[in-house]
Amino acid sequence: MSLARLMAAAWERNLPVSVLIELTYRCNLDCFFCYNDLALRGEPLRREQYFQLFQELADLGALHLTLSGGEPLAHPDFLALGTRARELGFAVRVKSNGHALRGELARRLRDEVDPFLIETSLHGATAATHDRQTRVPGSFERLLANLAELRALGLRVKLNSTLTAWNEGEIAGMFALADSLGLPLQVDPEVTPRDDGDRAPLAVAPSREGVMRLFRIQTERGRALGPRDADETLPAPPGKHCGAGSSGLAVDPYGNVYPCVQWRRPVGNLHRQGLREIWLGSAELAEVRDLTVRVRERLEAEGPRAALLNFCPGMAAVSSGGDPLRIYPSAMQRKELLETVLEEEARRPVLPVIP
Amino acid sequence: MSAIRPAAVLRRPSDVRYRRIEGEAVVLRQSTAEVLVLNEVGAAVLDLADGRRSVEEWIEALADRFETDRETLARDVLEFAAELAAAGLLEPAPGDET
Repeated sequence: MSLARLMAAAWERNLPVSVLIELTYRCNLDCFFCYNDLALRGEPLRREQYFQLFQELADLGALHLTLSGGEPLAHPDFLALGTRARELGFAVRVKSNGHALRGELARRLRDEVDPFLIETSLHGATAATHDRQTRVPGSFERLLANLAELRALGLRVKLNSTLTAWNEGEIAGMFALADSLGLPLQVDPEVTPRDDGDRAPLAVAPSREGVMRLFRIQTERGRALGPRDADETLPAPPGKHCGAGSSGLAVDPYGNVYPCVQWRRPVGNLHRQGLREIWLGSAELAEVRDLTVRVRERLEAEGPRAALLNFCPGMAAVSSGGDPLRIYPSAMQRKELLETVLEEEARRPVLPVIP
Repeated sequence: MSAIRPAAVLRRPSDVRYRRIEGEAVVLRQSTAEVLVLNEVGAAVLDLADGRRSVEEWIEALADRFETDRETLARDVLEFAAELAAAGLLEPAPGDET
């Protein structure tokens, strides 16, 4: 069985392969468009509860465990939790802003947690733009220094970015910077409302032209990489729209369990139930899985190009006051722009092969 | 690909992560970011590769679980162990001198 088919089986038969855990919402940066619900309150999970959660996830077959936040390194037990995750055989990913990842902490992260991947955030190609977004002067220069240190330690690093009105003019420069560092860069074309529905972050949403420029650059870079492996591009299996609540889930610092980091529809709480009980018995989770089937049916009715919407039920719910089936404006814009880029690609002259 | 001797004691390298999914094993080799899927026998071999038991002992353990003659099983397991070692999914345990 190929990997893609195995992952499809996980999707269809509800096998949790990948789990994201938000350890804390504390952070040493202050990004204006941060999606965390900083007003959310509750009883934080204790170290022993995390250990129990990790054990249950390992028993259920989860392989990928992402430690996120906020800034996960700000959690007082971060290293102990990461170490336990390694001991239980997880491929650990750390989503960090990178600001504290240096010196002794970086070395201990490598030696004790042995992460598969560290994902850090790059917000611009210049200090002016990056620091404007993080609202911490000096954060750009410090990030570059820390990235060099992480690389020297032999850690695998990836850069993530969100396209905004402030950095959309620097996207080409950001890719050039990532290339010069030898690091992959993934850019999300969409600023999202906060997890509590607050739409304030949308004040820095990118312009239509900015999104278009990003899509053209990504298409150009994708073309340079050549055709992808057929197994990698295997179409999604029939049935569900996505793996939210089927092959993955997310947990917040207070033990609330969600089908996905972007779909904040609580399906249980770890202070009241174990993860296994939630995974196998939550009526709310069963409803989410059913909804992913209905989303699939809804999009199939939109025609073959519905995939260009890159539709997210969680984003739909937060955009429309709770309806995960409703197609939202930014998805429609994405489809329209991607169709334009695809048409441009189709019109590109194909150069003759010179022997 | 080097042959593996029955007395060899092998283990999973520290960069190997894997989980059993419906009998098979999804294996991630962190150092190279390679992902492999192993069948049921491969998954069982990974489970047994604890750095304490010899390959001979693996064969004993597997003989109880798979309906095949002992000679064929021994040959298959030794070949498979050699393939996994060549792929970086098994390594000699400290002190192994076979």
